[in-house]
Amino acid sequence: EDAAEESSISAELVGHRKRLVDEWNTWRARCRQEVAEEQHSRIRLALCREESKEEIE
Amino acid sequence: MRPILLQGHERSLTQLKFNLEGDLLFSCSKDHIVNAWFSHNGERLGTYDGHNGTVWTLDVDSQSKFLVSGSADNTLRLWSVSTGKCLYTWEFPTAVKRVSFSDDDQQVVCITEQRMGHQGAVRVFQINRDGDGSDQPSKPLHMFNPIGSKATVCAFTYTPNLIVTGHESGKVALFDVTTGDEVLNNERAHMDVVTDMQLSTDKTYFITSSKDKTARLHDTKTLRVLKTFTTETPLNSAALDPFRPYVLLGGGQEAMQVTTTSLRQGKFETRFWHKVFEEEIGRVKGHFGPINTIAVHPGGSSYASGGEDGYVRVHHYDETYSKAKPYGDLVIEN
Repeated sequence: EDAAEESSISAELVGHRKRLVDEWNTWRARCRQEVAEEQHSRIRLALCREESKEEIE
Repeated sequence: MRPILLQGHERSLTQLKFNLEGDLLFSCSKDHIVNAWFSHNGERLGTYDGHNGTVWTLDVDSQSKFLVSGSADNTLRLWSVSTGKCLYTWEFPTAVKRVSFSDDDQQVVCITEQRMGHQGAVRVFQINRDGDGSDQPSKPLHMFNPIGSKATVCAFTYTPNLIVTGHESGKVALFDVTTGDEVLNNERAHMDVVTDMQLSTDKTYFITSSKDKTARLHDTKTLRVLKTFTTETPLNSAALDPFRPYVLLGGGQEAMQVTTTSLRQGKFETRFWHKVFEEEIGRVKGHFGPINTIAVHPGGSSYASGGEDGYVRVHHYDETYSKAKPYGDLVIEN
């Protein structure tokens, strides 16, 4: 009985940890995407500035 | 895990920093000096001598060319890492409490203390990297006085001109350095002084420690608290392991209160917590007084702690530690 109880507790804990890890990893993936998008838009902006500068010259 | 004891400071340590490669460790102290050490064997590379007061803070650029330090002598100094020469000195009306380089090494942000007649200020300096480094602009590129509670810690974020700050009240905030505007804040990030702040490698999240006995992980973009690590002692420092899902916390009661409590209470241990599960996983003993600062090797192979006792301890992890999988095969993104 004790062993059964223990294993159900540990199964619960494993499930809980798995949920925490999934939640964390999902958030990390989103962060990575957002950083990449921000960098891309910054590069695009810089390139646009370069182009308009050349046109003026 | 046998620690290397770095003996070279005569008073409390205030901040530790590894360079990007991790071969060098820099330390500053209340004894007015900054030291550079070889992290693998603890030999001293050199000393940066010139400050006339407690050196509260330091940072080193990504090329290990320039070092900046801020002191109670009201100066911010730029040093040549390799020669130990002081290249430039900026003077202020009050002490410099925190400095930090930008990722591209082009700028330095610093916090000066609020004192009678002087508001606390945040300044950003453009660093001229040409020549020997002795030709620096004397005026800051940006300067502002944060409204409300005074800032204690700061760092650049991944967004240009946006810095993140920690405050005396426990507040955490984002400031636009060009306008001085507080863009976002979390007034209740902590209940007491924010004592340390260290960002993740990609700067998308950061950890803070506080006298309120907790350390917290925050989302840089939203300032949402992601995780909380609750201890039983005021915390002075919190660091992130760059590869393993652990955070390292250090602190301890002030010397005055120590005599009234039992020594054997594990007050001066570095605490390891799992950053996702919010569970304490271990402690490392060693210091005879509060731990003031912790830095993790950028390669994750060691960490260093600096204490009120005047010692720096560098702990190189055993191979078994790096290979251990205490939580099974769960893959946790950094």
